[in-house]
Amino acid sequence: MPPTDAEKRQAAREVIDILQEIATLLNTNLNRQQLSYCVSLIENGVNPEALANVVRELRAQYPQPSEESEPDGK
Amino acid sequence: MSKSQEERVEHALTQLLEHILPSYPGEDPAAADERFDDAFDFAFDSINSAGAPLIASNVNHVSDLIKHKLVRDNGSPERALRFGNLYSKLLSQPVLNQKWAMLHFLYKLSESTTGQDHSGSRTIQGIGVQNQTQLPGTPPKRQDEQQEQMRSPVFNEAFSNSGLLKLPVSSESPKQPLRHIPSDRTERKKDRKGVDTSKDPVEDESSPSERKYLPMKPSEPNLLRDLPFTLQGLSASTLVFSSSKTLEIPPTLPIPLVSLLHTLAEPSLLYRGLSEFVESSEGGLVGQSFRSALSKELRAYLGLVATLEGEIKRALAMLDESQPYQGIGKAGVTLKRCVIWTREATMGLRLMSVMVEQSKGKKGGQLISLIHSFSLTHGDPYVRTFAERLLSHVTRPFYEMLRQWIYDGELADPWLEFFVSEQSEEEINDLNGDGRKGGATSVWEDKYKLKDGMIPSIITEEFAKKVFLIGKSLNFIRYGCGDAQWVESYSKEASKELRYGDTANLEHSIGEAYKTTMARLISLMADKFKLFEHLQALKKYILLGAGDFIAVLMESLSNNLDRPANSQYRHTLTAQLEHAVRNSNAQYDSQDVLRRLDSRMLELSHGEIGWDVFTLEYKIDAPVDVIVTPFGSKQYLKVFNFLWRVKRVEFALGSTWRRCMTGARSVLGTVSDKVGADWKIARCAVAEMIHFVNQLQYYILFEVIESSWNELQEAMHRPESTLDDLIQAHARYLNSITRKGLLGSQNTDFTGQLHELLKVMLAYKDAVDGLYSFSVAEFTRRQEMSAKIETRTAEGRWGVTEKDSLADTDASTPSLPGSKRRPRTKDAESPFPLLQPAGGNEDDVLPALRIRLKNLSVDFRARVNVLLGDLYHQPDADMRWLAMVMNFNDVYQPVRKKRRVPEKKPSRETPRAVGAEGKTGK
Repeated sequence: MPPTDAEKRQAAREVIDILQEIATLLNTNLNRQQLSYCVSLIENGVNPEALANVVRELRAQYPQPSEESEPDGK
Repeated sequence: MSKSQEERVEHALTQLLEHILPSYPGEDPAAADERFDDAFDFAFDSINSAGAPLIASNVNHVSDLIKHKLVRDNGSPERALRFGNLYSKLLSQPVLNQKWAMLHFLYKLSESTTGQDHSGSRTIQGIGVQNQTQLPGTPPKRQDEQQEQMRSPVFNEAFSNSGLLKLPVSSESPKQPLRHIPSDRTERKKDRKGVDTSKDPVEDESSPSERKYLPMKPSEPNLLRDLPFTLQGLSASTLVFSSSKTLEIPPTLPIPLVSLLHTLAEPSLLYRGLSEFVESSEGGLVGQSFRSALSKELRAYLGLVATLEGEIKRALAMLDESQPYQGIGKAGVTLKRCVIWTREATMGLRLMSVMVEQSKGKKGGQLISLIHSFSLTHGDPYVRTFAERLLSHVTRPFYEMLRQWIYDGELADPWLEFFVSEQSEEEINDLNGDGRKGGATSVWEDKYKLKDGMIPSIITEEFAKKVFLIGKSLNFIRYGCGDAQWVESYSKEASKELRYGDTANLEHSIGEAYKTTMARLISLMADKFKLFEHLQALKKYILLGAGDFIAVLMESLSNNLDRPANSQYRHTLTAQLEHAVRNSNAQYDSQDVLRRLDSRMLELSHGEIGWDVFTLEYKIDAPVDVIVTPFGSKQYLKVFNFLWRVKRVEFALGSTWRRCMTGARSVLGTVSDKVGADWKIARCAVAEMIHFVNQLQYYILFEVIESSWNELQEAMHRPESTLDDLIQAHARYLNSITRKGLLGSQNTDFTGQLHELLKVMLAYKDAVDGLYSFSVAEFTRRQEMSAKIETRTAEGRWGVTEKDSLADTDASTPSLPGSKRRPRTKDAESPFPLLQPAGGNEDDVLPALRIRLKNLSVDFRARVNVLLGDLYHQPDADMRWLAMVMNFNDVYQPVRKKRRVPEKKPSRETPRAVGAEGKTGK
């Protein structure tokens, strides 16, 4: 049976959980939302190394005043 | 990418950026927007330009990478384990398509976060560059830590090959091998290209330069150059001896080198201490030879140091400046090698310093024993051989002393190291209490003492005793006997070199020397000094062995000695002695013996008669007085005294008996009616006493003296006897005489009893003499009476008048015991003093005499009983024999008296004693 949406969502959540744990293990300082966006980007074919560079650069250029990133939005 | 995809990407990117970009409070929105736009443009460009990923997508590979990273970063595998679990879970998920990409992304991100400090202002030139720039990053971080600078190829070689633990000094080195692993793996992947393959040459190049060390100060060649000096205990520029016990190691060295230097410092310090000891010059001969033996060993050590120095010089000449650490590893001489080379020498030095430590305060034989114990009982064969080597050297002065002692009898011991020590005069006097033992005795006994503590363990105790005796005898022969000549000749011919290790030979020589010396000494004693003759003479004269001489002497002296002591003259005594000698067999003795014989008077005290102070004397001089000690001479005199008294009593009783017997035929026959019964009693009593005295004398002379003499002869003529044996035998001889001769025993006072007995006997003799004179007086009186009657009858008068009859009645009437109570009449004819027994008081005299005689004989009896009682209970069989012989017919009842009660029941046997002779039974 093709997986239902609910199942897909469930599976997606699990995957995100796993990935988040891995990310924590690796000290990547990514929170859940950032991670999910990264996942979607990569799923869409973005080069992971390039993405990592981007993230890094942005972090370096705009250091966080606090640990949490509060998107202020535009 | 398709349009929709692009759109999605854009959207997602926007969202992400929104989340990533922080917001600064108080920033105006325009700036924030501008930031956002910049970021977005940048992100978009980079994403589009990156294109496809360069690395082949291999999920497993990336997971391995992550795992390694986790292990590396955290030091514990638990995170890696967790990751493994998650990874497997992830794999099982069907949703995510780009697992690899995701993981890779995360991996890259995580790497960058840890290396974030160093990113600095770098431009992104690719990941390989990034990797590369990380490497130089870490060394600068750790530059201040000195310890990890020391990573010379030598050490790596040393530590990695021998598997020694390297100190956890640098975190870089663990990274090195690990980093090699990724490079290895990248090598394996053929289609790797680009950045990763560029890693390899970069890393290879950076390996030598990576081990960026600061040159250590001081460098190893410098240390090596200074090493020979250090090993000799001299301060060098790098390693300074701050005191005699400490060596300073420069603090700038890394720890492994420091530990090496510690090992090398040990022989240096030991050598320093030992050379100081060797230079010191205290202690005796043995100590000095010990020091010289040690210095020989130290010289061998110095030889080793010289060789080492040669090697080092050669190696230093070969140093290659270009190589790291100047290629010292290749030259073949390193500090580590030196440690190996000096290892055995260090053991030797350690052993020597242990010996030196333990030898403090010891000297002579003790020192030898110490080293010998090392050679005997130590488990390590190296130690044993070492100690053996030392021993032959160290014992040389000891053997020299031994040789001189054995063959010359001289003690050449300036440092008091030998086990025979000489004692000075004062010490001897202190020992003996005012030098009681004078003369040669003290020379023999006390001049040399055996010090047990100083006997080295290389010779046994028995051996030492033999050696001691030999030397003592030689010395004695030389000085005491005056036979130095023989000693000289003997030492010349027999003296030979004694050495350590030659035990059989040594024992043989000592045995020979012993036999020769002892034999010589005994023969000297016997021949030159006529020891045995003197002993014989002592027995003859002092112990009354020569009966004829003694008899004559006694006869001639008896009148003299009855007079009081202060009227004796020395010359009369000597004259009597000469007379006795001439008239007996003593005249045939050698002049030497006769010369020594002398008569003497003991100290007088008031009221003594000559008998009490007279004594014979036999002069003994050195060296015979070693055997007949002054104490022994005193014992001889005591015995003489006792025997003389007994002899005197015997003589007195004998003369009385003679008189009685001869008188019985003449005078006494006539008065037997009056005093006949008394005479019978008296005769019996005297006979009893004579028997007693005879038995006593026989016992002492034959049972005691003769048998002891036989024992003495036996002991003296044994072939292996030494002077000490002779001394002992003689002492035993005298002791047994005094003991068995009833003179010396402690518990029962035989001497006192015997003296009393003798006194009683003498008193009895006096009483008997009194009786005799009384009888003679009576006889004379009767003679006169009858003569008077005759003359009167011749004149024609009455033969017997009233007066006469009165007097007569008293005298001539057979007087029965008890009928003596006649009124005393004054006899006009005999105006003699009252006490004269021949006078008119015969009534009193005779009864008095009778009473006295009775008392004395009773007393005698009682005392004999007591004596017998004591004798019976003696442990010695001979004394019991005496008691038996005295009481052979059981005439006495031996009484064992208690000490408190002075007298027990008197004997009941008195009436029976009258006719005791021949009768048996009680």
